[in-house]
Formats: sequence, structure tokens, C-alpha cells
Amino acid sequence: MAVRISVKRFQLSISTSYQFLAPAAIIMAIALFFPLLYMVYGSFRAWDPSQTLSESEFIGFGNYTKLWFDATFWESVSVTLRFAISVVFFEMIIGVGLALMLDRNMRGMSFLRTLFILPMMIAPVVVGLMWRFVYHPTDGTFNRWLSTFGLDGVDWLGRHALLSVIVADIWQWTPFIFILALAALQSLPRSALEAARIDGASSWQLIVYIKLPLMMPVLIVTMLLRLIDAFKVLEVILVMTEGGPGLATEILALRISRTAQEFRELGEAAAMSNYLLLLLLFLTLGMLAFTRWQEARAEREGRRAEKEG
Amino acid sequence: MAERQHGDRQHPAFYALLVTLAFMSVGPVFLMFSNSFKIDIDIISGTSALFFIPTIQNYETALCDILWYEPDHLDFCSIRFGGAFINSIIIALISTALTLYIGCMAAYALVRFRFVGRDAVSLATLAVRMVPPAVLLVPVFGLWNNVFCIDKQTLVGAWVRDVFGGRGDVCLAGTHSGIILIYVAMNLPFVIWILQSFIVQVPRSLEEAARIDGAGPFQVFYRIVLPLIKPGLAAAAIFTFRIAWNEYLLASALADRDTKTVPILIVNNTSEFNIEWGMIMATGMLLALPPILFTLFASRQIITGMTAGAVKG
Amino acid sequence: MLKHVRSLGIAGAAALVLPVSVAFANPYEEYAGTTLIVNFPAFPHYNSVVKVLPEFTRETGIEVEVDQLPYLKMRERQTLELAQEEGTYDLISYVVFSKADYVYADQLENLAKYFMNPKLADPSYDAEDLIDGYVQNIGVAGGAKGYLPGPTGSLFGLPSGSETSVLMYRADIFEKHGLKVPETYDELLDVTCKIPELEPGMGGMASRAASGHQASHAFLLHLAPLGGRVFDDEWNPIINSPEGLAAANALKTIVDCGPEGSSAFGPSEAANAFATGQAAMFMDSIAFAPGFEDPKKSQVAGKVGYALHPAGVRRGSQTGGFGIAIPSNAENKEAAFLLMQWMTSKKGDKLITMAGGNPSRFSTYADPEVQAKYPFAATFGEALKYADPDWRPIIPPWGRINADIGTTMSKVLTEGLDPQEALDGVAERTRALMDEEGYYIWQ
Repeated sequence: MAVRISVKRFQLSISTSYQFLAPAAIIMAIALFFPLLYMVYGSFRAWDPSQTLSESEFIGFGNYTKLWFDATFWESVSVTLRFAISVVFFEMIIGVGLALMLDRNMRGMSFLRTLFILPMMIAPVVVGLMWRFVYHPTDGTFNRWLSTFGLDGVDWLGRHALLSVIVADIWQWTPFIFILALAALQSLPRSALEAARIDGASSWQLIVYIKLPLMMPVLIVTMLLRLIDAFKVLEVILVMTEGGPGLATEILALRISRTAQEFRELGEAAAMSNYLLLLLLFLTLGMLAFTRWQEARAEREGRRAEKEG
Repeated sequence: MAERQHGDRQHPAFYALLVTLAFMSVGPVFLMFSNSFKIDIDIISGTSALFFIPTIQNYETALCDILWYEPDHLDFCSIRFGGAFINSIIIALISTALTLYIGCMAAYALVRFRFVGRDAVSLATLAVRMVPPAVLLVPVFGLWNNVFCIDKQTLVGAWVRDVFGGRGDVCLAGTHSGIILIYVAMNLPFVIWILQSFIVQVPRSLEEAARIDGAGPFQVFYRIVLPLIKPGLAAAAIFTFRIAWNEYLLASALADRDTKTVPILIVNNTSEFNIEWGMIMATGMLLALPPILFTLFASRQIITGMTAGAVKG
Repeated sequence: MLKHVRSLGIAGAAALVLPVSVAFANPYEEYAGTTLIVNFPAFPHYNSVVKVLPEFTRETGIEVEVDQLPYLKMRERQTLELAQEEGTYDLISYVVFSKADYVYADQLENLAKYFMNPKLADPSYDAEDLIDGYVQNIGVAGGAKGYLPGPTGSLFGLPSGSETSVLMYRADIFEKHGLKVPETYDELLDVTCKIPELEPGMGGMASRAASGHQASHAFLLHLAPLGGRVFDDEWNPIINSPEGLAAANALKTIVDCGPEGSSAFGPSEAANAFATGQAAMFMDSIAFAPGFEDPKKSQVAGKVGYALHPAGVRRGSQTGGFGIAIPSNAENKEAAFLLMQWMTSKKGDKLITMAGGNPSRFSTYADPEVQAKYPFAATFGEALKYADPDWRPIIPPWGRINADIGTTMSKVLTEGLDPQEALDGVAERTRALMDEEGYYIWQ
């Protein structure tokens, strides 16, 4: 049978593709987009969990202005930002650093990679549990070690709570950056590296001038993913410190859940959720715009260099 | 990603680094593992991680409601971990299956078909990946409890109350389906995103050939496309399962006494009056078991899934 | 007559004594086979209750299904359940500060109609024997200031797992160094900082201090005996008074001289620190005492002395813990009342106490068997005389005020925030909140 080559490229018909798309679209509409709209609507109301939303009273921007002038809310925002930024910063440095160091042909790498995935796969609740034990003032591993060396215990989850929480997150998520950076490194064009090596570039120069710039697109996506995920962290902190001491580790996500469940202020929690979404949107768009701008600048410089060369 | 078969010889310092890193990533897990076999006095008095008399007492306490015998050390069974374990399995498995099924169809339509608003759909899918679960807490709580309900006086409502018991109107909150629905919705954007990058790689010629042989679009999808994107499906399945299995916040807002999942029980028992470390570590270990098994036996798929998200996407 | 029949048990004797009125031989008969769904906190007292519930089922034929939750979670769950038209729970246990919310929202049954019903009320119940301070504090609402007892109050719940505070100390350590068991706050604060010097590695007193409810609880524990209150009689916040400052400073001293990691302690960590010998004193609820005397859980069993909560300008120990009530939207209210009555009856109360719970009755404290099993029973009976039902205001906005006090006190303890400044801040925010809630409308 002769193979006919269809002129038109293979495509689905309109109705079939809607059939394929429909279940996902319906579920996401019901359980994601509608709730988000519902939340925006609810954020303008004084809403407590024993009421249906229509029974609650409309208070305009009341919840928003109340939060705007609430110092403790801003403290939560600042804790969230400090947490997210330091976590992403350290994880990027450690993860990419390790990837550059370990991008070699050596035995045991795939095994190490397997072990490295472990922290990411385990439930955040369990991660919080493990670290809560490790940090325990008297029974915990860290203070036990310190005391065997005759040192005083450190009040990990008290005076250094935010730091302790950040360390736990770094433990859990650095491997994510490491694995992505390693994958990016291993898919770099061999030719560019070879050429540079022939030109006599040191391994340091190789990293700074060839590897890092070539990895940049992947690294930016990685960083963006990590940043978004850092705003999703909740369970680890909940189990470790419940947001304390004071507000030291009360990230926004935790504050939302407490406002909703403990203080029964659904409207206020909804307004807070909207602030959080806006913050995330702002950060993401900011980062995207920044990278666009950098790319454009690099391109322009590249073109100028070509012309001059 | 080029897999290199044989290792070159390296400076011993690198092996030292490897061992340290391996130790650091497994250390806390190992600590939990060994503590789960100790009695509380041993944990508190700091018996070393290796030399102690192991006991399965903690696991017996945790699983007392589904054991076929009554453990000697228990007066009564207060932690209903067994039931929660079953709930977790039901919820995680069903929501994973549904997410994959619905997600791969949607991904296929998005890749293979140009229609008005396709970019908008892709963008929206990507955007909802940003939404933290905490943001969904309030609306999901409100909707599932008050809006997504069937009056118990209606035919369906009365039927549900007859068959499953319970009181009041039939609402999504407090049912397995309610939790499954939000998990499916939450995971769809991610699954669609990952699967798209796999479907793009399927050669169109194969599908065209099948169409010429007279197969309908659904047949093409099931017979040609699905088998080819198995690695992608495996990766997506693991990630979906992981989220559905591990999630706490939304489950805690939706679950009632019969639909509690394991993470809820763990959080409930840590914020408690008296932390029984041994028992809680045992429940933690049981919760961590499926992810650990995945890691050991499917690390390749996990890495594929992770890199497909960032490197290829 | 009924009373005698019941006390004989259902061992068949009943049928012989009253062959004519078989229908009334057992007040529980009508409800036998009913399954009650009850919501209890995961708390030592209720673990004991759960242990004796099979006895109730055996005696009455009423099945009980228990949904146990951590007590803060329990409150969240109840908020949701009680608001439904038809609720799941037939009987709930509530934290004392939930009383205001629930009664205010008309979600609990007034118990009068059950105690009036001859088919339900056990004539041998002896309500006089119930510890009055508990009943007033936990069960009654609608009297003075709304939450205190008074002529306008009525009964909505019964105490079960109610508690007051006592000072628990290591008798061996105090004896070893010839220390006097503190009776006043000055002595208490003095000795608490002496102990770390005398016994290296041991903290003075283990106290709750973790951010939120725990820190607030610890602060209020000292506020009442030192003469302070959160509000004056016109609902003006006076938490930043000199008495308030004294309480904050007392807490700070206690935490600073406490065992390692004190500032993050919840009740479990604090109790553990005491049970493992890391602290010489522990001042908290009596609910912890049975645990300290259990050699399986405690390394200090037999070494603990019990004393009254030291006096500041007055004696005032906390009242708190739990009560049980019937939700208005319950399905089996009458059977729930029977369970409630059984749990707080002389027999039930003693069974629960012997299983490790807190008594709700004077007679249980006076019981020789109980006193033999628990060396502290006599002291606790004495401590109850000073139980202060007004040590914290139980009003609907209290949840938020409590959280504010808790996070602010935690900052004083860990971040070195000035106590006066901290309390001024709390007072200011509280006033704004109270204004918003309409407490100043009559002024």
C-alpha cells in the first residue's frame, strides 16, 4: 500500500479537541477558578465560618484597610519575604555550586542523586517532625552533639527559629536545584566547552564565562519555580514552630490558615490571600521582566560586538 | 542528558564530599527510622542511634485499629492511624488516576490542536501553578461546606443519607470525593505542563499513519500516543501521588472524623499535650514509606519529571 | 427505688426485685442500641474517660463513638459542626473559653429541661457534691459580666476534666539544699533562680512559654495572684497596670532561670522537662500530676511534692480545663444527657479518676481509695478553695486578645521587647477590638 503524504499537517478537529479538553477545563473551572473568584468576592465581606457567604455583611475594602494598618500583618509579610529570599538564595548557591563541583564522571553519582531526591519526596509534615526532633532543646540531635563537646545547647526553635526553619528548607530543597543544574550542565554543547579548553581557559574561567551563561535560562526557570514553591511552604513550619516564637516564623500562608481556622475571620483571611497572590504576581512578573531586559541587553551587546568585530 | 557509563578516577576529596552529602540527606530520615523502633525513654535519655533494643511497639500503637490482635502494652486504641492510612491510600490513588487521565487528554488537545484561546488556556494553567494551597483554603472551605451541597430532601440527597448515613445536607466537605476533587484540580496544571513536553516529542507521522488506517482520534490517543509517553506518565504519576499523599492543609480543612488522612493525624499528635516521639516517628515512617520506595525504584522517572518541568519546558 | 436498682447493677437482681414495672426497670432501656458520637480532646483526662466508656456501654447498652482531636483543633471542628442545621456530635467537650462563643451563638442546650425530666434525671446525682467553682466557671453563663455566675446565669454544661493550678516541686532537691517551699511570689522567684546555681544543669521552674496560647496562659497564671486583671469592670483594658508588669516580669524571670529551651515550651515540653529532672518546679494544671507519678512516663515518680499556687497580693489559682455539653443540633440529646450525667455521677467520676482523670466532685477527692492512689488528692482539694473563676475573661473576642497577648509575651521572652511597651501595645489593640465589638456602647 502506498503511503499517501497528507498535505495538511495532522491536527484534531475542533469538536474532538474540545472533548479532550473539557474534563480538565470543567474541573479546573469548578475547583480552581471559581474558588479564586469566590475568595475575591468573600474578601469584601465580614465572613465567619458559621455563615454562608450570602449571609455575611458587605464591608467594602474593610478587610484590606484593616490589614494594611496592622503591624503584625506586615511583620508576617516581612517574615515571608525574608524566608523565601534567603531560602532561594542559599539553595541556588549551594545547589549550583555542588553541581559545578560534581559534574564529573565518577562512580556513585547516580546513587547520590537517588539519595538526594529523598528529602523532596517525603511529606513536609514528616520533614517538620524530623527537624523538630533534631532541634529539640534537650533531646535533640544537635544539642546532644554540642553537649558531648562540652558546649552549651543552642535554643534553635526559640531564639533562632527563623534560621532553623530556613536550614530545614535548605536541606529539603537544595537537591532540587542541584539536580536541575546538573541536568543543565550535562546538556551543554560539548563543542563550546572543548573550544574554550583548547584556547587555554582555566576551569574557573570556564565556569564563569561559558558554563554559567549557558545555564542561565534553566537557572532562571529553576529559581522562579523555587521562589513560587517557597511561598507554598507551610506544613514544615507549622509542625516545627507553629509560627512562633512571637511572629518570628509566621509566614503569610500560616497566618492565613490561623486567621481562617483559629480566629474564624474568613473575610480577613481571604483579603490576606489576595495580598499574597498580588505579592507573588508582582515578584514573578518582576523577575520575568528583569530577565527579558537582561536578555535584550545581552543580545544588543552581542550584535554590537558582531558589527565591531 | 548523556549517561556516562564508567567513572574516571577522581581525587579522594570528592568521594569524601559525596559521602558527606549522602549522609546529610539521609541522616534525618535514618534518625527517624531508628527512633521509631525505640521506646520513648530510650529516645529521651539519648540512647545512641545504633545500640538499643528495637521494638515494634510504636508501630503496634500506631496501627492498633487495624491489627488483628490487641497489643499487650495498650489499654485502648486512641490513635486511629490504620483508618487514616486507608483514607490516604484511597484519596491518593484515585486522585492520581483521575489527574493523569484528565490531564493527558488536555495536554494532547493543547499540543495537537490550534484553536482560539489556546495560549490563554496554557497561560492560565501555568498561572494557577503559582497559587499556594493556603490561598485556596478559605474559598474551598466555604464552597465545599456550604455551596457544593445537595439538599437532603432531594432524591439524591436522601439516597446518600440512606446509604452512607450521617446527618444534614450532603456536602462535598467531609467526603473522600471532596478531597479528591481539590487534589485533581490542584495537580492538573502541573501534569498538563509536564505531559505537554512529552507529547510534543511524539512524531506526528505515527498519528497520521494511524488515522489513515481508519482509527478515530480517541483510538489514536490510546493506542499510539499513550504508550509513547509512558515515561512522562510515570513521572507525572509520582509527582501527583506525592502531593496527594503528603498534603495537609486542605485535607485538614475538609476532612471529618471518617476521612482524616495520615498527615492530619501526625500534625494533630505533634501539637499535642504530650508528644510521644516513638509513636509519632513510627507514623511518620509509615507516611514516608511510599515516597521512599518511589525514590529507590523510580529515581530515573522522578528526575525526568523534574527536568522536564524546567529544562525542556 | 430506681437508685437502688441501678446501684445493684443489671446482674439480673433488678428483674427479681421489680417484676411488675419491667418497663421502668432501667432508665437506659429506651436508648439501648443508640450510638452517640462524642467529640473529646486528646487530653489525659479524656483518655481516662475513653478507658471507662466501655463500662458505660456495658451498663446501659448505649454505644459511644469518640472523635478525639487536639483541643485547639477540636474547637475549630466544633465551630463548623455547631453551625450546621443538623450536627454530627451528640455530646461535645469544650475548652472553658469556648463557653462564651457557643452560648452566645445559641448552640448549646440549656440543661434545665433535662434535670427536670424525671425519666432522665437521676435522683441520686447529688449536684451539691460537684465542685462549685468548676460548675460556675465552666457550666454557667449569663451572670455577672456575661460569663460569670450570678442571678441571671443558667447552666449549659457540666465540668469534666476541669482543673486548677498547683505548684509541683522536687521534694528531694528542696530537702537536699534545705530550701523552703515557696508560699509567696517573692519566695518563688527567689528560689527559681537559686536552683540553677545549686544544681548545675537543672532549671528552676519549667513553664509554658511557646508563642500564642501557651505564653498567654503562662502570663495570666501569674497575673491573677499578683493582683492584676485584663479588664476593669467597665471593660477598659488594664493589662498594662503595674500588676500586669509584675506578672510579665515574673514570667520572664521564670523562663530565664528555667531549663534549656524554655522559651519554646508548650505544656508537653514543660511537663517533660520536669518529668525528666531538668527542672525543680512546675506550676501548671493538676492534670499533669498523675503522669508524674507514673514510673513508666516519669523519672521523678515518688519524688514530687505538691503545694498550693503561691500567693502574690492574693491567692488565685487558675480555673480551666473542659466541660461537656449537648449541642443544640445534636441528634440524640436525651441519650447524650444520660452519658453526661453518668460521667459526672459519683460512680463515673471515681472510675475516671482512678483511670487517671481529674475529679469533678468533692467526694471523689475525699475518697480513701483515691487518696491512697494519688498522694496529691488532699492538696488539690485544698487548692480548689482558691480557684479564681475570673482569672481570664471568657468573652467572645477573647480568642483574638489571647493570641495577641501570647505573641506579644513571646516577643518579650525571646526578642527582648520591653514588657511595659509590650503590655501597652496589647492594651491599645484590645481597646480598639473591644470598641469594634460594642463593649463601650453603654459608656
